[in-house]
Amino acid sequence: MSAVPAPSRRPLPRSHARRPHLRVVPEPRPRHTLRFALLYLGLAGATVFGTVSLNALAAGDAVAAHRLEQEVVTAERDYAMLVAEVARLEDPARIRAAALDLGMVPAGSVRFLVVDRTLPADGVMPDLVASDDEATDPLKPVLSVEK
Amino acid sequence: MLLLFVLVFGLVGWRLVDLQVVDAEELADRGVRQRARTIELPARRGRVYDREGDVLVTSVDSATIYADPRAYRPGEAPDGTEKPAAAHAADVAEVLAPLVGRDVADLREALERDAHFVYLARQLDWSLGERIMALELPGIGLLTEPRRVYPAGPLAGQILGFTGIDGAGLHGLELQHDGILHGTPGQLVMEGAPGGLAIASGPRELQPPVAGTDLVLTIDREIQSAAEAAALRAVDEFDAAGASVVVLEVGTGDVLAMASEPGFDPNDIDGSVQANWRNRAVTDVFEPGSVQKALTAAAAIEEGVVAPSTPMAVADRIKVGSKTFKDSHDHPVEHIDFAEVIETSSNVGTIQVAQALGAERLDRYLRDFGYGRRLDTGFPGEAAGLLMPVESWWNTSLPTIAIGQGVAVTLLQAAHAYATIANDGVATPPRILRGTVGEDGRLTPLEPGATERIISERTATQVREMLARVVSGERGTGKTAQIAGYDVAGKTGTARKPSADARGYSGEYVASFVGFAPVDEPRIVVAVMVDEPYPIWGGVVAAPVFREVMEFALKHRRVAPTEPNASLADALSEAALQRAIADAKLEGPATAADEPASPPVGAAAGGDGDAVADP
Repeated sequence: MSAVPAPSRRPLPRSHARRPHLRVVPEPRPRHTLRFALLYLGLAGATVFGTVSLNALAAGDAVAAHRLEQEVVTAERDYAMLVAEVARLEDPARIRAAALDLGMVPAGSVRFLVVDRTLPADGVMPDLVASDDEATDPLKPVLSVEK
Repeated sequence: MLLLFVLVFGLVGWRLVDLQVVDAEELADRGVRQRARTIELPARRGRVYDREGDVLVTSVDSATIYADPRAYRPGEAPDGTEKPAAAHAADVAEVLAPLVGRDVADLREALERDAHFVYLARQLDWSLGERIMALELPGIGLLTEPRRVYPAGPLAGQILGFTGIDGAGLHGLELQHDGILHGTPGQLVMEGAPGGLAIASGPRELQPPVAGTDLVLTIDREIQSAAEAAALRAVDEFDAAGASVVVLEVGTGDVLAMASEPGFDPNDIDGSVQANWRNRAVTDVFEPGSVQKALTAAAAIEEGVVAPSTPMAVADRIKVGSKTFKDSHDHPVEHIDFAEVIETSSNVGTIQVAQALGAERLDRYLRDFGYGRRLDTGFPGEAAGLLMPVESWWNTSLPTIAIGQGVAVTLLQAAHAYATIANDGVATPPRILRGTVGEDGRLTPLEPGATERIISERTATQVREMLARVVSGERGTGKTAQIAGYDVAGKTGTARKPSADARGYSGEYVASFVGFAPVDEPRIVVAVMVDEPYPIWGGVVAAPVFREVMEFALKHRRVAPTEPNASLADALSEAALQRAIADAKLEGPATAADEPASPPVGAAAGGDGDAVADP
């Protein structure tokens, strides 16, 4: 005789116990193909429209940039010409001739005031003078603080 | 039907492969070529400033006018039809010729040339180019080209030099520093639409240009102008072949001015005389004559051969070998000290001292003072001067060289030697370039050259005092160099010019004067050379030029006078008097030439000094 264990009689899980053998499944949702197509077309349209718009804006900006570049070139040209003109007008020989034409005469002996006392502002003058010089003449390079 | 479908798709597919695979590279290149624009970005050539930052040289845009001659002959349109000429070359030439300054026939020939591009005029004023383009002439175009301009015209022309039409330095500092002035051009590679507009979404590749470096010179524009004016007046007044002036700052070796007349305008090279391009103060040499005696004296005093107070018996002539050297005038034997030998510019007395000094020592000191070698300013064409090796000296070389004949120097070398004496015996190499200015607009100063002591401070002081007697002494030859209020020292020179074939001397002379001021604390050295003047004497011709330039330089550099005024009241009185005189001159021609009959109330002439001391 063989010893065969008898099947256990454990109770079924509760869920199994609840599920019926047959049940009504819900009707599958209808696929919104049309909506997807419209959405896709909308996105594609927006992309195309956006791209075209951006390109149009960029082209407009390119025109503006071109105009600005031309203005910069013109301004730089004017600046260079003005630098040359200022230097021409500052020519000592020209100023001397113009002064003589106006009836001016060369100065006589130059007077120097030699002071042997320290003035209150002596300590601050050099810096002030130097910074003023540098700040007031943008045409000149910064040469030194003592200029 | 199916066959047709397959055939069509096959053709399309084959074309697709053809375009995208077989010809892809070539087509892509063609597309790039059609869109790509490469724009040359020229580098701005560096400016040149004077020591105060005033512009001496700059660049501006200029208009270059060109023509496409195809517009003036019948052509063929893209559709194969005949295209008539856009205009008659003769009509356009008629309109353009006066504007571009060319002959009508010459211009017409250019317009009818068998070419695609012809220059009609280069580097015109920009405003003129705009006027020409406003005419809207067919086939005429405008290119922008940078043009070098020298705003003050001939001012410092020989120092600055000039560039060619392509902007490369050809002369002067423009040539010497061309490497740092010209900069590096850049370029912009971009995609562009017809009409020149950039395609915004296209790639851009920018290689920015590197602007040329600006130069800051040691030249002072005001002093340079005064030196040129004085030199030009000397040429006119003494009917001279030329005149040169060098102004040095004592201690730094800065060249404040270096003028040579006649000069030229670098803006108008075609209209200038080539011989006037030379910066003769550096490139030409002359025999210094008696100016040399200060160096002979310095060497002798430094070697202990003589002292300023050493008594001497000086005849009016001395024979050395087969040659007799004479003073400028006959005189009996004079018993004077060495200082008076220099004061009277005695050749005989100087030769006596030189003989005691010896050839080797004189040669060594002259070379130490900068004779016979370039001063390394780097200026194009700088001459070394001429001082024969002492081994080659003849028996008459020592006396000849001691009085400034048989030796040749540039005016800059003469000024440098005197600057050494003025600087307590320490030689500072002269320099024209103070520094450079980069893109930040700030000066990068050049390292000063190495200094070298040539004579002792004591010797330098003694020589200075001797040279002061030349100007202020009773028998001094340089009295015309006196400047009111300042103690001045210097030496006159009158030397014969070697003949053109270098055999003996010609009948022409060079008058010179080199000096410095103030004597106690020298600040400025001025050297003057007048070539072939009449009269010939340095004290008559060159010393007044020295005085004019030195006086201006001292006041411009704000060097206080040596002699103070008696009082502030005197100074104010004289100022009031001078103002009254100036006002009277301005009032009208009737009173222009005369001083007022009586000075204004409170005004009185007084005091001959120029300084006001605080009591």
